[in-house]
Amino acid sequence: MEWAWLTPIFSFAAAPAVILFGKYLPGKGAVLSILAIGGGFAVFWFVLDSWLGANTGTSGCFTSENTGLLTCDYERSWFNAGVVGAVGSVSLNWGILIDPLTIAMLGLVTFVALMVQVYSLAYMKGDPRFGWYFAVHSLFAAAMLTLVLADNFLLLYVAWELVGICSYLLIGFWHERPQAREAAKKAFIVTRMGDVGLLIGILLIWRDVGSFSMLDAFEAVRTGAMSEGAATASAILLFLGAMGKSAQVPFHVWLPDAMEGPTPVSALIHAATMVVAGVYLVARTFPLFEAYDADPLMVVSIIGLVTALGAATIALVATDLKRILAYSTISHLGLMMLSLGAFGYTAAIFHMMAHGFSKALLFLGAGSVLHSTESQETGEMGGLRKVMPLTAIVFSIGALSLGGIPIFAGFWSKDEILIAVNDHRNVTFIVLTLVTALLSALYMARAMFLVFWGPLKDQNSHVHDAPPAMALPMALLGVLALGFGLISFNWPGSYGGIGTFVFFGHGESFHFEVWLGVVSIVMAVAAFVGAYKVYVDRSISLEGVRSRNSGFLKIVENKYYFDEVYQWTIDRVVLVFSRFIAYFDRAIVNDILVNGPADVTRKFGIMIRVHVTGHVYSYTLAMALGSVGLGIFVWLRVA
Amino acid sequence: MAWFVFILLAVLTIGGALGVVVTRNVVHAALALLVSLIAVAGVYLVLFAEFLALVQVLIYGGAIIIVLMFAIMLTRSSDYPRITDNKQWPLAAVAALAFLGVLVPSFLINKVEGTEAQNASFTGIGESLFTTWAVPFEIASLVLLVALIGAIIIARSDEEEG
Amino acid sequence: MVDLVYFQLLSAALFVIGLYGVMARRSAVLIVMSIELMLNAVNINLIAAASQMDGTGKFANFDGQLIAIFIITVAAAEVGLALAIILRMFRNKSTVNVDEINLMKW
Repeated sequence: MEWAWLTPIFSFAAAPAVILFGKYLPGKGAVLSILAIGGGFAVFWFVLDSWLGANTGTSGCFTSENTGLLTCDYERSWFNAGVVGAVGSVSLNWGILIDPLTIAMLGLVTFVALMVQVYSLAYMKGDPRFGWYFAVHSLFAAAMLTLVLADNFLLLYVAWELVGICSYLLIGFWHERPQAREAAKKAFIVTRMGDVGLLIGILLIWRDVGSFSMLDAFEAVRTGAMSEGAATASAILLFLGAMGKSAQVPFHVWLPDAMEGPTPVSALIHAATMVVAGVYLVARTFPLFEAYDADPLMVVSIIGLVTALGAATIALVATDLKRILAYSTISHLGLMMLSLGAFGYTAAIFHMMAHGFSKALLFLGAGSVLHSTESQETGEMGGLRKVMPLTAIVFSIGALSLGGIPIFAGFWSKDEILIAVNDHRNVTFIVLTLVTALLSALYMARAMFLVFWGPLKDQNSHVHDAPPAMALPMALLGVLALGFGLISFNWPGSYGGIGTFVFFGHGESFHFEVWLGVVSIVMAVAAFVGAYKVYVDRSISLEGVRSRNSGFLKIVENKYYFDEVYQWTIDRVVLVFSRFIAYFDRAIVNDILVNGPADVTRKFGIMIRVHVTGHVYSYTLAMALGSVGLGIFVWLRVA
Repeated sequence: MAWFVFILLAVLTIGGALGVVVTRNVVHAALALLVSLIAVAGVYLVLFAEFLALVQVLIYGGAIIIVLMFAIMLTRSSDYPRITDNKQWPLAAVAALAFLGVLVPSFLINKVEGTEAQNASFTGIGESLFTTWAVPFEIASLVLLVALIGAIIIARSDEEEG
Repeated sequence: MVDLVYFQLLSAALFVIGLYGVMARRSAVLIVMSIELMLNAVNINLIAAASQMDGTGKFANFDGQLIAIFIITVAAAEVGLALAIILRMFRNKSTVNVDEINLMKW
């Protein structure tokens, strides 16, 4: 298990190799990159096997008193300043932390990354920067895996930023398009703003605990060495970073724009892996959040709920297929945060994985559609199931899964979330969560029916289905989206459901709340049926609803004007302030404070220079006056 | 009696000196210098330094004035009447007066009780010159040699070089 | 009998006049003449000092006269050199006015 660090290393090595030698390698380096991530996937299986066979006696492993899970920690010291352990000393280490959360993430990241890279072989074929694409993909996978394995905050932060850079590079991959450039900048800047909170939170923890190690921080919280104020403050600050990366309101504005990148990138980074880094962070540092009165968790759940509900409403009226999926991602991330905030640790992780598989599948299906029709507007699609049946099937699997239809993975995970919210939060929460669930079923059904059902437009009659390199990953992900729910059950043997694998505090085997399950099934089925009637049958018309709520509809269609407000703030506040600062720097700091003394010295020198006339007689005069002065000086001393 | 002579000689000295620094005509300045230097020789006589008076007249009056005259003759330029004073002569006057103002009080304050002057024998000077002051004597002759050679080199005209 | 101090005052006056001449005169030759005045003033002072006797009726020390001899020697050498330089200067610039010699600056 201590070899788990190999998982990112293959991809870390592949990235520069592809950049440097890509031209000479088969497939311009794509093959090397796929092999690297495949290697990582293989290592994941070894790690899982090894962990299952480990117990508290295995070296480096112990049962954590914070989480109640078997945790294995391996560290190598890198840099020490000051005496180790003394107050104010700094120790920087490489370390990996293996517990079920890590293993779940490792599996998710390596599998989805592998699928997406294989898919990209066909999707990005013919692109002039094919090699660079795979290099950045490798780097991203390596960074994400490091983030997940990191056992100290500093390594986490480094990997966090690295993941952000890869996201920027990939969103702006087609940098000839101005929208892509703007979107990449926006993504990076908005997430950076959240990262400020993350950094301050990490430093706050370091100041209280004295080391960057996560396990040390959790110990400090548990034993009360970290005060309530410090724990709450650092938890909220860490959550700010999570909000940025996981697109929670108000940091969500970058994710829809990030759809400017290639669709496989959207599938990997903005559905399954990078955006869940925030959720992972909150889950990993859960001891900080639930310490003392668990006030931060209330904040987390409120923000999660607002995000989930708001994004769902926008997804319902969006017309660009990728934007629908983007807002759906934001909404589901909000659900994950809500679940974490409601102490639904297992539910959140489970939903993270189920959503990851399903959303990646949806994005890959959308990519297949876009690859053929070359348009992203749902208004120009319709009836595509006649010409691309495989894509239609897998897309429908993903949509049904996220809509919450039973059997599919999404249903089980969403159900767990509903149970958690019901158990730990008041009535408002559960009601609004159920509304969100209904909306998510509605918009997924709408997307599905608009694209694949209905009459086939003439311009799309030439459209073909996905080639094998694209079809295979989609099919594999489809299987997972369909069957992943099975791991939540109690199986014969010692496996008691995912609740006993990944949990916080104590494990719970699978249980089912009947009334919640029935309500959610009914809602989901009704939503799908209703959407069918509206968009396929056209037997129900929405005109009446639209005209009555036209004001509210306008607000939602404009995404609640978040972008406009931000732009106004930047134009009127930030730029004005920065112009003032620039002026201050130029006029006062530079001209007066820096150039000033130099100017004064120069002018003074020029003034003084007058006395160097070049004429000997003036020097003689000076000598005479000097002697007079000396004489007077001697007089005064003697007298 | 000595006083009267001294006053006369002092007037001549100072008068000649003033003539050097005030007059507009260079030749008149040279002549005034001659008067001053001869008067200084007279002062040496009052102080019973006959050898020095001799040397003074011979060298200054006989050689240096002649050389100065040659220099004046060889460096005449055509602007006539000419301005012989600098731009900074008021300042120079002030500085000179300040200098005087420092010197005179210092002499007056450190007044030494004077004694009767006495005749210094030639043999005494000669003896002293070649025993106690022999080294400076030799060096002085070297200085003269070097100055002579230097003057020739500096003043030599350019066509003769190479 | 004239007191020492009067000789010293005479020497001071002569020196100051020479100093004024060096600073205020325009022609280089005139400046050399003024330098001669200054040297003579110093000589007067030295010889006046050398004329003092000690209590026994002998010269205390007539080194002053010897120093004055050397000063005259050096003055002669210096005048020769100075005038050689003035000749050279006149040849180059056809003027001996120090107003027009101002290369010794920045």
